[in-house]
Amino acid sequence: MQRVADVKPSSASQQVSESTFADLLKPLIEPGFRLALAMLHDAQAAEDAVQEASFTAWRKLGRMRDQGRLRPWFLGVVANKCRNARRKRWVVEVSVGVPEELPAISLEERTLRGTDLRRAISRLSHDDRLVVVLYFYLDMPVDEVATVAGTSVGATRARLYRAIKKLRPDVAIEEALR
Amino acid sequence: MSLRRDVHSAFDQITPSMGGLPERVVQTVLSEGATRRRREKMLFRIRAPLSLVAVLLLIVLVAAVFVGGRIVQDWNALHKSSPAGQSNQSQLAELEARPLQLPVLKAATECNTGPWNSDGTVGSGPLSIYGGLGPRTSWGTYWNNVFYTDQQIAGPIVVRVRDVVNNVNVVFVGKYAAGPVVGADTLNGTRVQQHAELVLYANNAALVTVNPPSKPHAFVWGFTVGVPNDSTGSTGWQVDGMGFSEVFLSC
Repeated sequence: MQRVADVKPSSASQQVSESTFADLLKPLIEPGFRLALAMLHDAQAAEDAVQEASFTAWRKLGRMRDQGRLRPWFLGVVANKCRNARRKRWVVEVSVGVPEELPAISLEERTLRGTDLRRAISRLSHDDRLVVVLYFYLDMPVDEVATVAGTSVGATRARLYRAIKKLRPDVAIEEALR
Repeated sequence: MSLRRDVHSAFDQITPSMGGLPERVVQTVLSEGATRRRREKMLFRIRAPLSLVAVLLLIVLVAAVFVGGRIVQDWNALHKSSPAGQSNQSQLAELEARPLQLPVLKAATECNTGPWNSDGTVGSGPLSIYGGLGPRTSWGTYWNNVFYTDQQIAGPIVVRVRDVVNNVNVVFVGKYAAGPVVGADTLNGTRVQQHAELVLYANNAALVTVNPPSKPHAFVWGFTVGVPNDSTGSTGWQVDGMGFSEVFLSC
């Protein structure tokens, strides 16, 4: 399986126009940001990762063979930027970058549960976290998750199951996958 | 609540408004893209020579380790040549084959100890000797002596001793005693073999230099020599090494 982050340049490399680039990239920014935020738990770092991934896209977009696969390719680049960004950080503690408190008291329990889940996801390895975020948060099908992660569908499914067992050891896989 | 909804809820709580984010990101790329590309090209051009320098440094380091290792090896070979080495064996055979050139005296009264050196010990060099009386047995008298030198000696040194009046064999026991076994005796309650020769090497000299008689020396060998009762006490010593042969009398 071809890793989406390693797309080979075509021999007839060409530069896309600015307007085409903007049209292609803009729809990818929001899922890219959500992915980066879920991976890094830091809004500023997430925006930086998306910005860096966009520079990469600007350089390589014109040389892509199949621009129909742009979305998984771009998310793969964002995932790589997140991996690098996380390596550079001294502290791996959860830092959400935005206030945890919500104004409504009635949402307190939900907030606490969300904090616990984010903390649990942040403790997963990069690869486990990536498949969880792509599958559960970006609602991507397993085959597309596999394309972004650069692994086979079977391996991705196994990784997903393992991650679910770590997050919710007492919940059946089928129930968790719903 | 499903895990999917939980994940959505958990991350939606911390997701700020993304209004204007796509436009901002695209605008930044379009305005800075060309500048960054030039910078990356320049970095790439610098990176190649830097890699070359790193490879060259690595080669130099490996070569230095290799050459340094050889130098250390050669140094050790020079200063710690193995006594049992093949070249030492052939040198030893050559020294043992040298004929004795000791004087023959008619009577013990003709024997004069010497030559003396500036240290006040006996020997014309490179080796000098001094010593003192050791244990007596029914077989004869033993002397605890010391050979010393300040010169770097390559290869073995063979020492042979005879009575210069009646040609009786003088023997060696203990450390450095070598060559044919010519007898046995009990010394300080221990049975020892008597050998015809003393064989010395630079690398089996004493680790701690002693001080005979007025200053420390580079190479010192303490040994025990035995003079039988039927000896006249007039002994001739022949010391053979690679490139030298030394004779002295001890009476």
